[in-house]
Amino acid sequence: MTIRDHLWPGGDPHSLAAPYALDALDAQERARFERHLERCADCVAEVRALSEDAVRLAWSTAAPPPPMLRDRVMAAVRVTPQEGSLPAQEARWEYGGAPEHARAPERARAERPQQRRPREPRFRWLLMPLATTTAAAALVVASLFAVQANQAREDLRAERAQAAQIAQVLAAPDARATGNRDAQGRGLGVVASKSEGRAVVTPSGLGALSGGRVHQLWLMRPHMQPRSLGLFRTGTPLLASGLDADATSLAVTVEPNGGSPQPTSAPVVQLALVSVGFGA
Amino acid sequence: MRTAGEGRRVEADELLVLVATGDQKAFEDLYGMVSGAVFGLVRRVVRDVAQSEEVSQEVLIEVWRTAGRFDPSRGSALSWILTLAHRRAVDRVRSARAATERDLRVGQREHSPAFDHVVEEVEAGLERQWVRRCLDRLTDLQRQSVTLAYYDGYTYREVAERLSLPLGTVKTRMRDGLTRLRECLGGAA
Repeated sequence: MTIRDHLWPGGDPHSLAAPYALDALDAQERARFERHLERCADCVAEVRALSEDAVRLAWSTAAPPPPMLRDRVMAAVRVTPQEGSLPAQEARWEYGGAPEHARAPERARAERPQQRRPREPRFRWLLMPLATTTAAAALVVASLFAVQANQAREDLRAERAQAAQIAQVLAAPDARATGNRDAQGRGLGVVASKSEGRAVVTPSGLGALSGGRVHQLWLMRPHMQPRSLGLFRTGTPLLASGLDADATSLAVTVEPNGGSPQPTSAPVVQLALVSVGFGA
Repeated sequence: MRTAGEGRRVEADELLVLVATGDQKAFEDLYGMVSGAVFGLVRRVVRDVAQSEEVSQEVLIEVWRTAGRFDPSRGSALSWILTLAHRRAVDRVRSARAATERDLRVGQREHSPAFDHVVEEVEAGLERQWVRRCLDRLTDLQRQSVTLAYYDGYTYREVAERLSLPLGTVKTRMRDGLTRLRECLGGAA
């Protein structure tokens, strides 16, 4: 057995271009072939041509999607930041202006999240929940995280579980989204389901707090004391459950370490829930 | 057909570039243009309608999230999106298969009733007929190798096992099949 046979028990890597274009490699062989592609310009050209051929097979399969799909996707898009969005782009996301600078061509290749993460710790969660709406997808995402040596197992499990719960909220038939942002870029994004009494709440622009203080999320109801929905971990969404149908808004306050039974300061951000079906 | 196809593709390319800048309106337009192709392809591979909806949702959100990776010089937006959709559909069907050890026999698809005939027939357009005609022009082994992989999500190793063929033969049939499809469908691209 030659070294090549040993490395490529399936034979010459070039011969895998067609199976690759058809997605007919298992995960391991796919990864290996992609590493080979990085060093083989001919293969890249060939794979590109064969992939275009494979896509032709999809011409014959189009079918009208269920109408609800559109609402769900658009709701999720409203609260799902884009990969690699920088603060400047974040502003564009809100105001819808023209791009200020073209994206660097390298970006297309810089697909490994761990390369991006150290530069943008605030957006670590972008790679996670809202866009991954099933437990299976959560596993895929979790495996991405698994390559990062410093990722604790516990965190992984928690994130995976959260991704699955968020998927449930998104999949609710009445899931709707809303969001806001003030002049300082602080705000909340929410996907909520009244029937499930649950919401995924994503903070933005809240920044880090010093001295062990925390951002605490409150549910506001008419003629009632605010009820704590939990503490935000920096930049990660919070899954709020047991939301009352008459809830009118969400509010975030800065509280001492560990949070407070009742707010001790004025809200830094507040978001009305009427547009997602609550408070009626 | 060429004109219509070209128009849709160019427009989708431009929209996807706008989407990469965070333009939600552009995404909505793009959704209208590609969601049927995405859902139909995913359903063809995944088969279960509820799961197909889930996967399609993931794919379309991923299009929004990762639109910045699209490079128009490397291919069309429709190809980029459908490639992503196919990958996710195949991943789903394989994990489902691994979970249930479900074992579908070769050719069962042809004999089992189609999941949703009505929709299929409504959608049966020129492109669909064209692809079918071109698939008919392949040799049996080419067609089975290509369709078991693309429409049923089998790996080439599984295809080889199912067709009792050596791995090398299956890889060659896949390549030849795709190349012949290109020749047959090329005029329609």
